[in-house]
Amino acid sequence: MGLFDRRRNSPIHRRSDGTFTVDLDPQVRELVGSFAQQLRDLLSTDSELLVRLFPPPYGEDSERNEGYAVLAGAELMEHRLAALDVVTEHLDATELDEAQLMAWMRSINDIRLVMGTMLGLEEDHRLPDLDEQGLATLSVYEFFGALLEMIVTALSD
Amino acid sequence: MSEQESVGLLEPDLLDEVELDLPWVVLVWNDPINLMSYVTFVLQKLFGHSKEKATELMLQVHHEGKAVVSSGTRAEAERDVFRLHEHGLWATMQQD
Repeated sequence: MGLFDRRRNSPIHRRSDGTFTVDLDPQVRELVGSFAQQLRDLLSTDSELLVRLFPPPYGEDSERNEGYAVLAGAELMEHRLAALDVVTEHLDATELDEAQLMAWMRSINDIRLVMGTMLGLEEDHRLPDLDEQGLATLSVYEFFGALLEMIVTALSD
Repeated sequence: MSEQESVGLLEPDLLDEVELDLPWVVLVWNDPINLMSYVTFVLQKLFGHSKEKATELMLQVHHEGKAVVSSGTRAEAERDVFRLHEHGLWATMQQD
């Protein structure tokens, strides 16, 4: 990805003390901050784009799905907003602990889930026909994929 | 209370008992958005699997469309589903 400095091996890596170095360019941080805010705004709506963030656990059993949503929906929302809070509060941080980097990971994955839903991605290895706007969305989606991969690699290290 | 009413009251209880005896399984479904490395990492983190075991489950999801990732009581299954949803995986639960 063009926004990453190719001279470095990985801008995100685990240190010997268990914390993580986060050496991202300002443009990358700006993009993450912008999309984190957009996700936060979207979470205050009942947009169908959120379907992958709150999937029904009981398949076709609408009665049980509704019961689960009443019991767990608010907590799931709280956890999503708490992860976004961590991203926003530490947007410029050059060091994160594991819990903070995990929050970044979950929020970036949430952003990808919404963007993938927006793009109409339904099958592996098959892209729907996209207009110019769709192609622009796809490039950001792929960028977040690369960033997520980097975070997962660092956390797995 | 008539005999018929008694039977009517007992039946749901008996059904509940039968239902309680059956284990619940948690399934993770394939989707085109989540990265394979991400799914593997989440399965390791949430269930304490080795990388090999988590990779095996992830590949089963990828190739067969779904995989059972845990089983237990309804409450245990709901807890696991919640944690999987928190991490953005497409998880459902059903009685085995």
